[in-house]
Amino acid sequence: MNTHTVKVVKSILANNDVVAELNRRRLVEAGVVAINLMASPGAGKTSLIIKTLEALRGRARVGVIEGDIAGSIDTEKVLTAGAQDAVQINTGGNCHLEANMIQTALESLDLSQLDLLFVENVGNLVCPTQWALGEQLKLCILSTAEGHDKPVKYPEIFAISDLIVLNKMDLVELVDFDRSFFYDSLKALNPTVPVFEVSCRTGAGIPEFAESLLKYKQARP
Amino acid sequence: MHEMSVLSSILEIVNQTAKEAGAERVTRINLVIGERANLVDDSLWFAFSLLSRGTLCAEAELNIRHTRLSFYCATCQSNYTPPIDNFRCPVCHQIGQITGDGREMLIESIEVAD
Ligand SMILES: Nc1nc2c(ncn2[C@@H]2O[C@H](COP(=O)(O)OP(=O)(O)O)[C@@H](O)[C@H]2O)c(=O)[nH]1
Ligand SMILES: [Mg+2]
Ligand SMILES: [Zn+2]
Ligand SMILES: [Zn+2]
Repeated sequence: MNTHTVKVVKSILANNDVVAELNRRRLVEAGVVAINLMASPGAGKTSLIIKTLEALRGRARVGVIEGDIAGSIDTEKVLTAGAQDAVQINTGGNCHLEANMIQTALESLDLSQLDLLFVENVGNLVCPTQWALGEQLKLCILSTAEGHDKPVKYPEIFAISDLIVLNKMDLVELVDFDRSFFYDSLKALNPTVPVFEVSCRTGAGIPEFAESLLKYKQARP
Repeated sequence: MHEMSVLSSILEIVNQTAKEAGAERVTRINLVIGERANLVDDSLWFAFSLLSRGTLCAEAELNIRHTRLSFYCATCQSNYTPPIDNFRCPVCHQIGQITGDGREMLIESIEVAD
């Protein structure tokens, strides 16, 4: 019996990446900008979707894929807030979304009726970063209450995000959030990433955030 | 955490590659896993022992090489690999530029018997 070495040099997630690329093409062809929303549980993913829906009402058609462990409560909330369409993914207790889950969810959405598509990932700062879904934008939400040290503790999510939302700015004084510590460490990881400071409670900063998404979409008809 | 799902992706690729190479069985799988890939060796081995049964990999050895998060400090003009919870330069305590993210998840090669 002979043994020999076969070179592979392939990402373990290669098969996920293939499906993600199919999703991405499908979304781009339909002119839909998909945003992968990643954050800890409670950072304000659903709240940000709802506030953005309200800010863009009548100006953009927004779909939502709810992947956070939630039942269908959040799906109903976003539909009430004005989402064009929403689907709930049953993650089966998984700690992150994978591209094939999005592929299935896209089946039940009419992409021709959408401009933007929010994908609320499972609440987790760690593994959602490793599974591409086919999104055009990766958005990380950090809430001030979680602490300014999060970029140091979870560097990859801050390093790979295209946009950062710093939420719960209404609590910034109460929770001793050290802004310069936060911005210094973020800058080391991702020097040019735009940061939007918002409060989903007071609505501060939401218009600027919503406008930037709209602009991004308008540049990609 | 999600080692089962990762392991089934590995086996899909390895079994396919082995089949294409006309192999009778796989004797070794060489992985490269970054220290920040959020994968625990023991959990990978455990998932492997469960999921490899009845496949070409049933008797293979799962070998894991690790890579580290690394930075370059422009002030000190040196590379450093910081501990996982503090990525400041150990000399000047500034934060350098990231040069290796330590998140590799690669199947480097397999060894097969035919
Ligand atoms: N004070 C304050 N609370 C907020 C803000 N945004 C969200 N919350 C609250 O934080 C909790 C979690 O929000 P949710 O949107 O469900 O987080 P998710 O788990 O990331 O989807 C809820 O009780 C929200 O009302 C904010 O800007 N300020
Ligand atoms: Mg939620
Ligand atoms: Zn996971
Ligand atoms: Zn230094």
